[in-house]
Parts: sequence; C-alpha cells; structure tokens
Amino acid sequence: MKPLALISRITQLVPVLLGVSVIVFVMMALTPGDPVEIMLADQQATPEQVQAMRHDMGLDRPALERFGIFLSNALTGDFGLSFFHRRPVFDVIAERLPATIELTLAALLLALAISIPLGVVAAVKKNGVVDRLAAIGSLFGTSLPGFWFGIILIILFAVQFKLLPVSGRLDFGCEVPPVTHLMTVDSLLRGRPSCFADALSHLILPALTLSLPMAAVLTRVQRSAMLEVLRSDYIVFAEAKGISRRRILWRHALKNALVPTVTVAAIETGSLLGGNMVVETVFGWPGLGRLVVESIFVRNYPLVQAAVLLYAVTYVLLNFFADVLYTTLNPRVRL
Amino acid sequence: MFHRSSTITALAFSAAMLAPVSASELRVGFTLDAMTLDPANHRKRETETIIRNIYDGLLTRDAKMKVVPELAESWTQVDPQTYDFKVRQGVTFHDGTPMTADDIVFTFERLTKDDAMGGQTSPRKDLVGPIKEIKKIDDRTVRFSLSEPWPILPAMLPVQEVVSKAFTEKVGSQGLATQTNGTGPFKLVEWRKGDSIILQRYDAYYGGATEIPPVGKACVDRVIFRVIPENASRVAALLAGEVDIINELPPYDMKKVETNSNTKVMKVNGTRTFFVALNNTKKPFDDPRVRQAANMAINKALIIDKVLLGTAVPLNGVMSPDAFGYNPDLPAYPFDADKAKKLLAEAGYPNGVDATIDTEGAFKEITEAVASMLTKAGIRTKVNVGEGSTLRAKWAPKSDKSGDMYFTSWGNGSLDPADIFVPTLRTGDRGNSAYYSNKEVDVLLDAANVEVDQAKRADLYKRAQAIVNKDAPWIFLWLPQDLYGVSKRVSGWEPSADSRINLHDACVK
Repeated sequence: MKPLALISRITQLVPVLLGVSVIVFVMMALTPGDPVEIMLADQQATPEQVQAMRHDMGLDRPALERFGIFLSNALTGDFGLSFFHRRPVFDVIAERLPATIELTLAALLLALAISIPLGVVAAVKKNGVVDRLAAIGSLFGTSLPGFWFGIILIILFAVQFKLLPVSGRLDFGCEVPPVTHLMTVDSLLRGRPSCFADALSHLILPALTLSLPMAAVLTRVQRSAMLEVLRSDYIVFAEAKGISRRRILWRHALKNALVPTVTVAAIETGSLLGGNMVVETVFGWPGLGRLVVESIFVRNYPLVQAAVLLYAVTYVLLNFFADVLYTTLNPRVRL
Repeated sequence: MFHRSSTITALAFSAAMLAPVSASELRVGFTLDAMTLDPANHRKRETETIIRNIYDGLLTRDAKMKVVPELAESWTQVDPQTYDFKVRQGVTFHDGTPMTADDIVFTFERLTKDDAMGGQTSPRKDLVGPIKEIKKIDDRTVRFSLSEPWPILPAMLPVQEVVSKAFTEKVGSQGLATQTNGTGPFKLVEWRKGDSIILQRYDAYYGGATEIPPVGKACVDRVIFRVIPENASRVAALLAGEVDIINELPPYDMKKVETNSNTKVMKVNGTRTFFVALNNTKKPFDDPRVRQAANMAINKALIIDKVLLGTAVPLNGVMSPDAFGYNPDLPAYPFDADKAKKLLAEAGYPNGVDATIDTEGAFKEITEAVASMLTKAGIRTKVNVGEGSTLRAKWAPKSDKSGDMYFTSWGNGSLDPADIFVPTLRTGDRGNSAYYSNKEVDVLLDAANVEVDQAKRADLYKRAQAIVNKDAPWIFLWLPQDLYGVSKRVSGWEPSADSRINLHDACVK
C-alpha cells in the first residue's frame, strides 16, 4: 500500500468524526428529557439544587456554546466529566472498553470458526444435508433477536443444566492482576488455568449470542463466494491438472473465496459493537455497550458523545483494516 | 460433538471449583452499578445502597423505618432551627483512625457548601436542608443550625454518610470516587466496574446502631454486589443459586420464585404515592362532589389485583402507612359507580361530564384503566399521553391551570409529611398540581413545621389528612411495593421501604 493512500484514509476520518459529533450532539439535544431532572428524580429537588447541578454540568449555557466547548476540549483529548459518575468520561470508558473488546473478539473468532468451514462445505456439497441445515440455521441466526436467544441460553445452560454461569465476567475468587485487561488472556499470562477456565465459562454464552447473527450472514457470504470461485476457469484448470480435490479447495479456492467474507466480517464487526449493547445487558457483561445504553437513558451527554465518536473511529478503522487485508489476500487489488 | 460437550463440562467443573467455598459469602444480584463510591457525589438510591454498607451515617433507620442514632449517640432538638448531635466514641474508620467530631463537621460542610468538592457542589446538598452552620461545640457534640425550620432534618440524615477528613484531603474528591475509608460494617476489597463490588467484613466495627440488634460485627465474611441489569437474567441468577438476594423482582416472575424450593418473595411498601391530581380551580372538579364522585368511580382493588398483580397498597390519603404521622383512620371512598353518578347529578351534571387525563407514556395502560372506570361512572375521560417535563410544566402551580386531571406521583424518601404533604397540598407549594387550597390545612401544616414536640407534630398532620380526605383534591390511588427475590439460606435480612439493602445483620446458612 502506498503511504499516500494511508494519509488520505486518515484525513477522511476528520469529516466523518466532525459529522458524527454534530449528529450525536443534535440528536441528544433534541431527545426529550433533562439529565438534571433525571438525576434528581428519586427525591424531588429544590430549584436551587437544580440550578447548581445545571451549572456544574455546564447546561446553563446555550447549546451552540456547549458544542463549541465540547469540540475544542475533544481536540485535546478531554471529553469532560460524566454527569452521573462525576469523573472524567475518558476514565469511565477506559474501564469498560476491555470487556467489550474481549467479547467482540471472542464473538468474531467464533463466527469465523463457524461460518468459514460451514460455508465451504455447504458450497462444495451444494443442496446436500449440510447445505440445507446451514440455510435453515442462517435464517434462524439472522432472525432470532439477541436478547431472546441469550435468555434462552441462560435458562438452558445456567438454570437447567447448571453448566455455565448466568452472568458476569470472572468469579470473585479469581483476582488476576491486569496485563491486557482481557480476562482470558491475563489469566493465562499469570499462569492461572482455573481462572482461565472460569473466564472462558463466563465468555461462552455471551460470545455465542453475539456471534450468531454474524455467523449466519458470513456463512451465506462464504457459501456464495465459494460457489462462484469453484465455477471459475482456474479451478477447472487445476482439476484438469489432476491436483487433489482437497488441495484445490483449501489452497486455491478458499483464498479467493475469503475476500468477500473478510469485507463483510470487518463491517459486521462494527455492527457487533451495536449488538454488544443488548448482549452485555442480558449477560451483565461489564462492557462499554451497556454503559452507553445506560448513559443514553439518563441523557449523560458527555459520555454518549465520546463513546459514539469512539464507535465511529473503530468503524472507519475496521473498514480500513478490511481494505488492507484485501490486498494481502488478493494482490491484484490496490488501494 | 462428544468432544465439544466434554469441554463444556470440564469448564463448568473448573468453574464450580471456584464457586463459594466459604459458607458466609452473601451475593446480591443488583440492577445497577454504583455511579461512584463518594457518599456526597451522587443522587442515586442504588449507589446509596452499596455505599451504605461501607459507610455509616449519623442516624439510620430500623426495619420499621424509625429514625435511630448510628454514629451519633443521641440527638436533641434545641429549638425549631437547632439540633445537637452527641458523637459516639470509639468508632474507627477502616484505616484504623478514630472518627471524631471534626470528621462529621467536614462531611456536612462538604455536602452543603458550594463548590466544596473539588470545585463541584454536592448533588445531595438540598437533602441536608437549609443549613446555616455546622459547628463542633466540643469533642462530643456537633451542632446543626438551620436558616429556617425544617422538621425533617433527622428523617433526612440517614441518607448521608460520614467520611474521614484526613483521607478525603489526602485522596481528593476524585480519589474518593473509587477509594473508600468508611466506618461501616464492610470494607471494600475490589470494585470491578460494571460487574461487581466485593466487600469484606470490617472486624474492628463498633457494632452499629444500638437500637437495632444484634449489635456487633457483620454476620457474613464477604458481601458481593453483582450487577445484573436485565430482569430475566437477575431472576435466573437467583434461581440458579448464583445470588442470594435480588432487587426489583418483576411482578410476573413472582410465581417462578415462589415455586422454586430454595427461594422466596419478599415485599415491602415503597415510598412513592400515586394519585390523580384534579384541577380544583376549574369546572367540573372545582366542586368537591365531583371530586368525591371521581374517587368512588375507581375500583382500586381491581386495578391493584389485575394490573399491578397485587404489588401495591391502596391509599385514602397522601401518606404511606409507614410514614411519620400517618393517619390510619381515614375512610375509604367505596367503589360505587351509581353513587358517583348521583353525586355528579347533584353537582349539576346529570348527563355526566367530559374530561381529559394527562399521563406519561410509562403509565399509559394503567391510566387507561382509570379512564375507563371514570367513563363508566359518567366522567367521560380521554387519555392524553405527554412527556414528563412538559406535563410537569403544564401542571406547575404557576401555570395557566388549563388541565383537568393528571395521573402522577410523589416520592417520599424521608417518609415524613413535610416532604410530601407540604409540597403537594399546601397552597401554591412547588408540587401542588391540583391547585388545592384550604386555609385550615395550611395553618395545620405551618404549625407542624415549627412544632418541636414530635407527638404534637404527628397529631397536626393527622388532622390535616382527615380534611384532605374529605376535600378529595385528588383521586387517591396507591403506594407500589418493592419486590425482592431471596434465597432461603439468607436469614436476618428484611427489605426496607427506603430500598436500601443493609447487610450488617444478614447471615447465610
């Protein structure tokens, strides 16, 4: 890839982020409800208290001024104080981000591990049993709502069979000093296999729930890409040369058939961030998605703004990453 | 397939190895994480519930909601605007330093002075009331001087916790958000944000309020608040035995918890009064007969039973049955649609009247139930769903008073009439959405506000409640109950009306 392409990609981020900031700010401003009123809702507050809170949060200034302050502070990496935590937004997000990253990565790996072999087999044995089952499975995977599927998994594996925990991230008996803040990785790095097993047992159900819709889509993509590749001339030629079926499939065909899967996977990873909000709530997973949902409910403007910006950056970077992967998988593609 | 399931079994097995080894670990499945661990920097009941197990207050409440001394040994009201608190001796913070009168003064100055928390003003400031000055008289006495009478000061003090002056000055207000040094029965081990708060018994605990036995160290070794926001998952965690107590048990899951052999449902009256404010200044509700008719039109028992699934108590007035000065002798308006129609006819509306009831989206269904009952009794009611802040503005005491009816509620965390009766029914007060005005009631409320003798104060409120019951400025509705799911291995714990989960006395089998 040329360095120029990289620079142009990075400069593309600027208008995107600015646009996202404006949209989020306007949406939050237009959403009915007032953070101060929500915060003081438990016990009716006096007008003086409301005024003091409004001042502390900077809500006594005009909206345009607030936006200006937000933008100029954000440029220096200062996203202000979370209204409800009363601590820097940056800290609050940083505490919750690793859990989301761990869950997203696990779901991504799981989705790829399910969809690529399944898609290939479905394509090779077109209209066979596996293909049909995969088609039905994909239909379910895309249409089942995550929260429902998650609760069913909980009822089955946690309440009925008592095999896996209902929620949370790590047992309280496990105190693993953080390295990467990813519990599964840290417990291995610290040489605590029992904690690793515990972290993994907490991770399975949410990761499965989160990965299902993605696996469904990727299976379909993988299957159709594979079918297309298998029909191309170079495969016919390879077969004519007498190369073994297995070698053709996994060495020659799959590499090309992976290109669309990778693109879709990268884009879908972005949407995993959205799915996280539901799954993290159902499984009590202490990640960013749940924090953002809670923050939207209570109109915690600074936190929502910062988190959405983070989502936007992630999304753009993921797409960029997909493009880079493209070029390695298929050198004919140039950025 | 065999391989995969055996992996899961292996995982589950090793997870089970980590599960509670020590018998005295109590886990609470809780709806929300703490926003902060700084007792002065939040305004959230859930946050307070967690903090209250780490920090003690000057005063607290027993299970019957009576206010009793905790870090104070006793208190006296010198005059309507002055209170003296005697400081308990021999109390230590979790770092071992003794708690003194200076810590108490520091705590309340931090709560009540502007910008006293690293440039921020405490969001709990007005919960301490109109404080003029907090002064240490001697090592054993702290005096609170108020700028005006505020009889609920003792009732409001249980929601404030005492912090260490030295510790707060050392870590700063930002530090106090995540680090603790309380005087409570448990000390913080670890806060896994968004996931759990792990507490451990504080062995040098002074014992807690002397009027709430048993006095002494906490019963359990460890307490864990696990954050499980989703209702279905919280219930599942209780049924699976992962947690021992859950809050906000959804009413439709009560049966599940009851039928499980290891769990039970516990109910407690909440502190929020629901009512329909009637516009007392405008036809037709300016006539008390029409207002009484509206009260008779509602079959409260049916709504509580069918819509609220039995999780509310009917009210005939403003106050919770647990509140100070509650009048238990108020007559109920019987459900009688025919009599309601007759009263309407007497008031000059033989053909009934048309009216609109305002409500928020969350209460649409229940308001529709109320509206259909009113319609059947001749008050043909249309439901208008509006947004909270818009409706509050429409029904503010200084509005143009254009509405007919308003389905609303008022919280009373202090369980004292001064915090609900006065603001909602005194002439022109900030929550008087019915625009009710009765000189006699005003006189009684004002007298109660400065009455130092608590028995006399209660009596004044009781008399005022009787008048309001007769005037019927509202359709009196109900007080919802809070539901908890509790494992049968827990003993010594009861839910309380203030929604706190104090675990000092709780034990596990």
